[in-house]
Amino acid sequence: MERTIERMRNIGISAHIDSGKTTLTERILYYCKKIHRIHEVKGKDGGGATMDYMDLERERGITITSATTNVSWKDYSINIIDTPGHVDFTIEVERSLRVLDGAILVLCSVGGVQSQTLTVDKQLKRYKVPALAFINKLDRIGANPYKVKDQINDKLGRRAALVQIPIGLEDRFQGVVDLIKMKAVYFDGANGEIVREEEIPPELEDEAWQYREELLDAVSLFSDELTEAILEDRVTEEILLQAIRKGTISREFMPIFLGSAYRNKGVQPLLDGVVNFLPNPAEVENIALDLDDQEKQIVLRPDPQGSCVAYAFKLEDGPYGQLTYIRIYQGRINRGDELFNSRSKQKFKVGRVVRMHADHMEDIEGAIAGDIIALFGVDCASGDTICAPGLNYAMTSIYVPEPVISLAIEAVDKISADRLARALNRFTKEDPTFRVYIDPESKQTIIQGMGELHLDVYIERMKREYKVEVTTGRPQVAYREAITTRADFDYTHKKQTGGAGQYGRVIGYLEPFEGNYEFVNEVKGGHIPREFIPSCDKGFQACLKKGQLIGSPVIGVRVVLTDGQYHPVDSSDIAFQMAAQGAFKQAYKKAKPQILEPIMRVVVETPSEFSGNVFGSLNQRRGIIVSSVEDGTYSRIEAEVPLSEMFGYSTVLRSMTQGKAEFTMEFLKYGRVPANIAEQLMEEYRKKVEQDNKN
Amino acid sequence: MVRKTLSSRSPIKTLEKNITGGVGPGKLGVFASRKGVGKTACLVQIALDRLLEEKPVIHVSYASRVDYIISWYEEIFKNLSTRENLKSAMEVHDRIIRHRVIMNFRQEGMPAAQVLKSLEALLGPGNFPARTIIVDGFNFYLPCREDLELFKKFAVEHQLEIWLSCSLKGEDPLFDENGVPFILKDYLKIIDIIITLEHFQGKVKLHLVKDHQQLPGKKLRLQLDPQTLLLARD
Repeated sequence: MERTIERMRNIGISAHIDSGKTTLTERILYYCKKIHRIHEVKGKDGGGATMDYMDLERERGITITSATTNVSWKDYSINIIDTPGHVDFTIEVERSLRVLDGAILVLCSVGGVQSQTLTVDKQLKRYKVPALAFINKLDRIGANPYKVKDQINDKLGRRAALVQIPIGLEDRFQGVVDLIKMKAVYFDGANGEIVREEEIPPELEDEAWQYREELLDAVSLFSDELTEAILEDRVTEEILLQAIRKGTISREFMPIFLGSAYRNKGVQPLLDGVVNFLPNPAEVENIALDLDDQEKQIVLRPDPQGSCVAYAFKLEDGPYGQLTYIRIYQGRINRGDELFNSRSKQKFKVGRVVRMHADHMEDIEGAIAGDIIALFGVDCASGDTICAPGLNYAMTSIYVPEPVISLAIEAVDKISADRLARALNRFTKEDPTFRVYIDPESKQTIIQGMGELHLDVYIERMKREYKVEVTTGRPQVAYREAITTRADFDYTHKKQTGGAGQYGRVIGYLEPFEGNYEFVNEVKGGHIPREFIPSCDKGFQACLKKGQLIGSPVIGVRVVLTDGQYHPVDSSDIAFQMAAQGAFKQAYKKAKPQILEPIMRVVVETPSEFSGNVFGSLNQRRGIIVSSVEDGTYSRIEAEVPLSEMFGYSTVLRSMTQGKAEFTMEFLKYGRVPANIAEQLMEEYRKKVEQDNKN
Repeated sequence: MVRKTLSSRSPIKTLEKNITGGVGPGKLGVFASRKGVGKTACLVQIALDRLLEEKPVIHVSYASRVDYIISWYEEIFKNLSTRENLKSAMEVHDRIIRHRVIMNFRQEGMPAAQVLKSLEALLGPGNFPARTIIVDGFNFYLPCREDLELFKKFAVEHQLEIWLSCSLKGEDPLFDENGVPFILKDYLKIIDIIITLEHFQGKVKLHLVKDHQQLPGKKLRLQLDPQTLLLARD
C-alpha cells in the first residue's frame, strides 16, 4: 500500500485511568489485524495487553510510557500513540499530544467526566487537538451514555452530540444505532469481528430520529449545504459526514461514539470515525522557529519534496540500543540521509529506519512528511528538532513545568552506583520534568519531579530496568524565599592586605518584584565604571541561589543600584561581585524575608456521602476549600493545599472513601509558610548548617 | 484594621440598623425581585461584609458555575475598594476569600435535605466555622414549604444567619398592597426578613416589607448603584 498523506492519521487515545483505554487499544490492534489474539489487561492470561509493554505498567495495570504503533484500517495508515492517563506523568502526555493530529477521548459510561478527564481534556485544548469521544463500558451496571453526553457538554464545555445511540444497556447491550446511516449495527463472531447492519429496531426508531435531530442541529452550523439540505429534507450521508468532519477538525464539535471494548462492541465504527472525522497531517498547521532569523515563525509544509523538519518526541532503550521516535513534519527521511540536530548542532547519518508495531518492528527505506517512525542509534534528547542540513529550525518548545518535589537518593553499593548514573542519565533525557543534581553541601544525589508518584515510578524503574537498589530520603518540598519590603544597602568591599587590593562600593535598594529577578542600573556620572555593572548583577544573582533563612532560592527581588564608588587600581570584576554579595546580605534581613512553599490546586472527586471526611482531611492539611460542586451523587471539591501536606494523601483518601474517591493536583502558586512552620524550617536549617560545619 | 473600617462604614450596617433586632443567628432573610435587578449583588455584599470581619461564609448556589460566582465577588470587591479608596485591594481580597467556600448544586431541584447534609459535612467534619450562609438561586416556584422549614431549623440549630434570593416571575402584579411578593405570602411565618428591590427613576430602591413580626413597608433609604451594583445610602 502506498502511503499518501491524505490516507494517514496520527491519533492518540486520551483517557482517565481505568476507563478501559488499554483494552480499547488492544481491540483496535486486533481488528486491524496487528495482533492475532486478544489479551486482557492486568495479565489474566499471563500475556498482558500489547501496548502496555513495561513490566511496571503491567503490574499496576496502567500505561506510563507512550508507545507508538502503526495499523491499517480500510486503506488508511493510522499511527496510534498510546498516552498515559495518570496526571503525574503529564509530561509524557503533553509530549505525545505535540505530535498528534487527533485524539480519541475515552470516557467510562458509569463514571463519566471525572477530574482526570478534565485534565486530559484541558491538554487536548491546549495543544489544539481535534477529538472524538468514545463512551466505553456500556455493558456495566449503571451505564448511562446520555448523562455522560451532557457532562461532556457541561463540564468540558464542548459542543458534542451522539452519532450513535445504544441498543440496550448494561447486560442487555447489543449494539448501536448509527445516526448517520440510520442503521442498527451489531457485532458478531467470537471476537465481534463481523459487523452486521440491520434495520433499526422499531422500538428505538423514535429515539433515533430524536437524537439524529440533535446531531443535525449541532453540526448544521458548520455547513451551509447541510442547513439547506435540512430545510429541503434531503440530508445525505455524505453531506452529514462532511459537516461533522468540518466541525470536528475546527475543534468546534465533538462526535460521540459508544461501545464496550471489553465486549467487542463499537470499536470498528469508531475506527471509521477516526478516518472520517479526524484530520490528516496536511490539515493541521505546524509551526517551527527559525533559529537563524530571530526565531521567526515558519509554517511547515507537509510536502514530501521539501527540506526535512522532524521532531524527536520519545526515546526508548531497546535491546538493540537507543530508539528515537520521530514525527516528520516536512520533507522525508530515508536511510543514509544526512540530518542535523538543531539543539546539539550535530550532524548525523540516518542508519536503520523502522516502523513500530506494538510487539515488533519493521525495517523500512524511509518515510514522508506526516508519518511517525523510529530511528536507531541517533544521539539526541526528546524534544530535539531534526532538520535537513542548511536549515536551523526548532519546533515550538513544549511547555515544561518546574519540578515541585525533590528526594535524596543513594545507591546501596558500588555496582549500583555506576548503574544509577546510567539510569539517571537516561531518565533525564527522556523526561524534562525529571531532574537530577548533586547537592554541593551534602554531596547527595537529589532527584526532582512533579509529584510523589512521578518519583516513585522512576525509583521502581531503576530497580527493574537497571537493577539498582537505592535508599531514599524523605521527599522535600521546593521552598522559596522572598522579601516583603524595600530595604536600602550601602556596602563597601575593601581588602588591602598585600598584593593587589580589592575595592568596590555599591549603594541602592532591594524591593519586592512580581517576577523572579530584575536588575536596574541607575548609577550616574560613572561612579561605578560601566564594565563593572555586570559584575554587580552577577554578585547579586549569586546570592539568589541560596537565601539566608533556609538556604532556598530567593525569588521576587528587584535590585536597584543607584550609586557607588570605585578605586582606579584596586577595583575589579571580583571586587564588585563581592561588594554586591555583601550588600545583598546586608539588605536582605532588613527586607523582611519570608519562606514560600508550593501551593497545589487539589481537586477531589468523591461520592457525596464522603464529602465531610474529604473536607476534614483537606482542612487538616492547611487546605483552603475553594468550592464544592455537587452533581447528583458525586461531589467535586476544589481546594488549595500546601504540597508539603499532601504526602501520602492518596493512601489516606483511599481508606477514607473505600477507594471510591480520587484526586488530582497541580502546581498553583507559591504561598507564604505560616510562622510556626517557618520557625521550624529555620531551626532545621540552622542545625543542618551546624552539622555541615562540624563535618 | 482596614478591613474593620471598611466593614463598619458599609451600607450593610445601615441596613441592619433599620431592621428590628438585626438579622442575626437563627434568622432567614430574603431578597426578592425580578431577574437582573440586583439580588445577587446584595447577597455578595452581605457576604463580603461578613468576610471583612473575618467571619466565614458559605455561598450556596444552584445554577451558576463556580467561576461565575467567583467573578461576582471579584467585581463587587473591586468596585467597593475603588469607592472606599482601599490600598492593596487584591491582597485584602485574597486574604478574606480564604474564609469563603462556594458550594454549587448543579442538579435542578436538589432537595434541601441533601443540601443541608453537605453543609453539615462542611461545618462538622470539615471544621469550617461558617456563621453566614448565602443561598442564591433557590426556586420558590416549586413546592418549597418543607425545604424552607428545614433551612430555618438548620439556621436555629447551628445559630447561623441565612440569606436567600427569590427571583420573581410572571405577570404583574407581583406584590400585594403591603409590597410583599405574592409568592412569599405563604411563607411569612418562616421568613424573618423580606427586602424587595425595585427599579425607580434609573436607580434600584430597596424596601423592607417584612421585619420579623411586622409588615412595615418601610423605605430603607438604601439604593443600588446600577453602574457599580454597590449599595449606597440615599
